[in-house]
Amino acid sequence: MKQKIGVYICHCGGNISDYVDVEKVRQAVIDEPGVALVENTMFACADSNQKKMLDDIKQQQLDGVVVASCSPKLHQPTFQSVVERAGLNKYNYIHANIREQVSWPHSDDKAGATAKAIQLVKAAIAKVRLAESIEPMQIETEQAVLVVGAGIAGMKAAIALAKTGTQVYLIEREHFIGGRIAQWDVLCTTDETGKELVTRLYNEVKACKNIVLFTGAEMIENHGSKGNFKISIRIKPRYIQKHCNDGRLQKAIEVCPVEIEDEFNFNITKRKAIYHNFPSEYPHAAVIDMEHCTRCGECLKICDQINLDQEEERLELKVGSILVATGFDPYEPVEGEFGYQAFDNVVTLPQFKRLVANSEHKLYWKGKRVRNIGYIYCVGSRQTNGDNKYCSRYCCTSTIYAAIKAGEKIKDLNHFHFTRGIRTYGKQEVLYHEASLQGQLFFQSPDDDLPKVETKNSKTIIKVNDLLSLNHSIETEVDLVVLVTGMVPRHNNTVSEILKIPKGRDHFFNEIHMKLRPVETVIDGVSIAGCCQGPKNVVESINSALSAAIKCYSLVSQSHLQVEPIVAGVDEQLCEWCGLCADSCPFDAIHMSQTPAKQTALVNEAVCKGCGMCLPVCPTNAIQLNTYSDPEIESMIQTLASDL
Amino acid sequence: MTTQPEKLNFDVLIIGGGIAGIEAAINIANNGFKVILAEKDLTIGGKMLLLSKVFPTLDCSACITTPKISEADRHPNITIFTNTEITSIEKQDATYFKANLVKHTRFVEEEDCTGCQLCEEACPVVVPDQYQYGMVGRKAAYIPFNIASPRVATIDIDNCILCGACEKACPTHCINFMQADKNYRLIVKSVIVATGFKLFDATKIQRYQYGTAKNIINAMQMERLLAPTRPYNHVIRPGDGRVPDKIAYVLCTGSRDFTVGNPICSQICCMYSLKQAQLLMGALPMADVTIYYISIRSFGKGFEEFYEQAKSMGINFVKGKIGNITEKENGNLILRYEDVASGRLKESEHDLVVLSVGVVPNEDASSLFGDAEWKQDAFHFPLQKDLLFNPSLSNINGIFMAGTTTGPMDIPDAILSAGAASMEAIQYIQKTAL
Ligand SMILES: Cc1cc2nc3c(=O)[nH]c(=O)nc-3n(C[C@H](O)[C@H](O)[C@H](O)COP(=O)(O)OP(=O)(O)OC[C@H]3O[C@@H](n4cnc5c(N)ncnc54)[C@H](O)[C@@H]3O)c2cc1C
Ligand code: SF4
Ligand code: SF4
Repeated sequence: MKQKIGVYICHCGGNISDYVDVEKVRQAVIDEPGVALVENTMFACADSNQKKMLDDIKQQQLDGVVVASCSPKLHQPTFQSVVERAGLNKYNYIHANIREQVSWPHSDDKAGATAKAIQLVKAAIAKVRLAESIEPMQIETEQAVLVVGAGIAGMKAAIALAKTGTQVYLIEREHFIGGRIAQWDVLCTTDETGKELVTRLYNEVKACKNIVLFTGAEMIENHGSKGNFKISIRIKPRYIQKHCNDGRLQKAIEVCPVEIEDEFNFNITKRKAIYHNFPSEYPHAAVIDMEHCTRCGECLKICDQINLDQEEERLELKVGSILVATGFDPYEPVEGEFGYQAFDNVVTLPQFKRLVANSEHKLYWKGKRVRNIGYIYCVGSRQTNGDNKYCSRYCCTSTIYAAIKAGEKIKDLNHFHFTRGIRTYGKQEVLYHEASLQGQLFFQSPDDDLPKVETKNSKTIIKVNDLLSLNHSIETEVDLVVLVTGMVPRHNNTVSEILKIPKGRDHFFNEIHMKLRPVETVIDGVSIAGCCQGPKNVVESINSALSAAIKCYSLVSQSHLQVEPIVAGVDEQLCEWCGLCADSCPFDAIHMSQTPAKQTALVNEAVCKGCGMCLPVCPTNAIQLNTYSDPEIESMIQTLASDL
Repeated sequence: MTTQPEKLNFDVLIIGGGIAGIEAAINIANNGFKVILAEKDLTIGGKMLLLSKVFPTLDCSACITTPKISEADRHPNITIFTNTEITSIEKQDATYFKANLVKHTRFVEEEDCTGCQLCEEACPVVVPDQYQYGMVGRKAAYIPFNIASPRVATIDIDNCILCGACEKACPTHCINFMQADKNYRLIVKSVIVATGFKLFDATKIQRYQYGTAKNIINAMQMERLLAPTRPYNHVIRPGDGRVPDKIAYVLCTGSRDFTVGNPICSQICCMYSLKQAQLLMGALPMADVTIYYISIRSFGKGFEEFYEQAKSMGINFVKGKIGNITEKENGNLILRYEDVASGRLKESEHDLVVLSVGVVPNEDASSLFGDAEWKQDAFHFPLQKDLLFNPSLSNINGIFMAGTTTGPMDIPDAILSAGAASMEAIQYIQKTAL
């Protein structure tokens, strides 16, 4: 039982004290058993108050501390560290949340808010009275990082980590690396091409001896957690051995009878079942697409290095930290959306970029000359009816830039932009200005009255009610409609299920704190970079990749890590191994253990997150959670209920 | 009085202690490197520490900044110098830089000051408070604000009348009028410039009457009116202390505007205006808030949803650029604008106008580097030499840039760019160590 408890009640500069009478709270708890000191403070978290707490704890030999302030998510670690610096074990600190749980939700009822704050502070005092000192657990770290996805973000992160001397495993689901960037031509705003950028990255990846690259590789399982992940990966075969003669391979490709749409060119061209990606692809090695291969054996007749029975490999990688950079998919419009697939001259922005990249002097689409291009913005983004409420951020700039570049390459084009308000934020604004000066025309449709694509006498017409010209109805005849498709999270991305990374309403991966911790996730040791977290342009992706890399590096640059000792413990006497706890654990931390006497549940402390899901399901009450023991929780409940 | 400069060695010098500088310092220090964070101002925290809440989460800005500040403050690998100016940086060879610093005197012994504010009470001089953007006064002996770090007093010697009242009031006798500036000579392996941005000076657009009409404020002043460390306990208009009930926001003030030499979009002002408008709807439920805009740029994660929320709260949006503003006798303001929806010139009356001022470069760093060439881009931000591959690299190898130094950014983007700068600096140090 604690005898000298210090209690600090925070005004939060008005965030709390505007609605809670903090002085009344102070008076109400001053005589609680064990309480030695109660103080009000303007900002409990401010350095000056931290110093004061430190002095109080030392001088008055406090043995327990409560701060009543904002959410523990924000400041519990701050105050735990204060008590620690004062020489107390940090588990003798208990946090009461009187902002998110009191002043903000009850701003309409000051008396009620004050009464609730008093109850919460008393309950925290009840808990701290019984708090026990426990020591953090130490785990040895695997000094290696797994980077998932070899687009620009993944490659840049892998290179940066490798240059610090860290062992890096870079796995890519596709057979070729480079992700989406390899598919783009010139990139704004430096005019470097996607391929050039990928080549620079690839050359650095190759030069780093401590990057091990696996292509065609997919994560299938994870056992373990921060410091010690054990990741199983599956590596799809290429079906072509290493030392294949280029000429013969080329012939083998020619004889392949299968022709399918080439997804590298967003299906505007065809490729064989045995294929290369593009001439300067990485790694430079052909592959057989087994999904479409008919096993006819034609290629085998030409090249003896082809082996259609090559088997997949499985590997286990041990790493201390994981960086996920699995990127995005371009939004795929549904049939009929702005004429997509209904009319044969409606393409997506990625297709348009491939088309321009593959054209010289004149633009043709399906054999017809293209002169007038209509761009319809925000397709799959900012939806008023659909699910994707968000703005995809990159596309306004990307489209204007693509239009300017197309105009430089092909002189006789006219550009008509059907927007919902152009968002060329930051320095990108000058592109918008440039396009306008070139005579490209911009229209803006109301959010609830989007453009329509129709055909009239076999001509394609875009109809819009234009906000910029008094809502006049305008019809524009175009040869090609470009749908400015947004970004959506990558489809069938199993990584999130395997690693349990939470997703937001927009289905992109969620960071732990949107403002200050944009690359870390609630899963300790797992960070996210690039567009899997949300739409980004190249620069933003690189920045997020390096940020994620430094967070991973901070974990693996140390040989040992401290982890929270708040874990479940099983009383072997009481446990009768029914397995209910193992089923309830979302982290797969509980397994059966066979002792000579009996079977019992065993908690893997390195994996347990202390979520407490197993506690209520145990029929014999054999599981307790450190710092949330039955006596502690019961004393809190009693206090909360006592004045009612 | 001249003294020999003290010599110090660090791995990285970070110039500027805003959120970007702080994040970079923590990142680097967490990996075992020694960092010195040099801040010109009396406190670290930059502009973020002065904001009300942040879009789109509406977290209290001070509350989420202070944990970062105290983490940096007590980090064993971080040394913080406030009130400090860098006078020069010279690149010596591929492995190190020499830098000269002046830590200006506060006329207060920092270690002994308890922050009791008795000197403030005693001081008879009142001058405009720069941390409240001139809306209220402060003393010549003062602590910047409650959550400043370090929270110690300073004597503003330019305004001090040398009456000695503070000296007598100070219980720990830490006020020392003889205290001199201190010079330091640093050897560092890499430098990160995180000197942040400046706010567009709205007096440059005379048609808007900022600085002459009393009830026109800029958005930073509105941040202060809404912040927990606010000057008054209420949102009032500065002209006469009345509670406003018809508030206008003028977006793109000083941005997207060739006439003031700033053609780019500041990328944060749409969002902070949406935020402030929402906070005002909460603080003044009866007030009308109108946002005059060219296009609303809510492009980031959760931003479009935030815009939708603003619309559903009843905030008025008018597409149109403000031509000019005139003040009426009662202090109200007439806004003349081109209403895009009707195609007409219109006028409307408001009792408080907030100018959503943009981001302009802080060119402090450009004079520091002596012979080495510090280049700027077309908008006077420092040049990002290898934009798509290494966005934090400046024109000088070994010098990296974080946060709004390189252009407008919101807080998460500043954090990301700080992450990039710190990762590049670590690689640079390790490469040159080989
Ligand atoms: C009105 C307004 C509202 C905003 N609201 C939001 C919001 O809600 N959400 C959001 O995400 N963003 C918001 N922002 C943007 C946010 O303020 C910036 O993204 C953020 O402050 C950038 O941090 P920084 O560290 O790059 O720059 P700064 O905050 O400017 O910090 C730079 C630091 O460097 C110091 N310094 C400058 N020159 C020197 C020198 N020569 N030597 C030493 N030190 C120097 C400065 O004193 C300062 O401490 C808002 C901005 C404004 C103007
Ligand atoms: S960036 Fe432009 S095109 Fe893309 S979703 Fe946003 S507003 Fe629409
Ligand atoms: S962010 Fe909005 S207000 Fe700011 S300059 Fe850009 S368009 Fe104008």
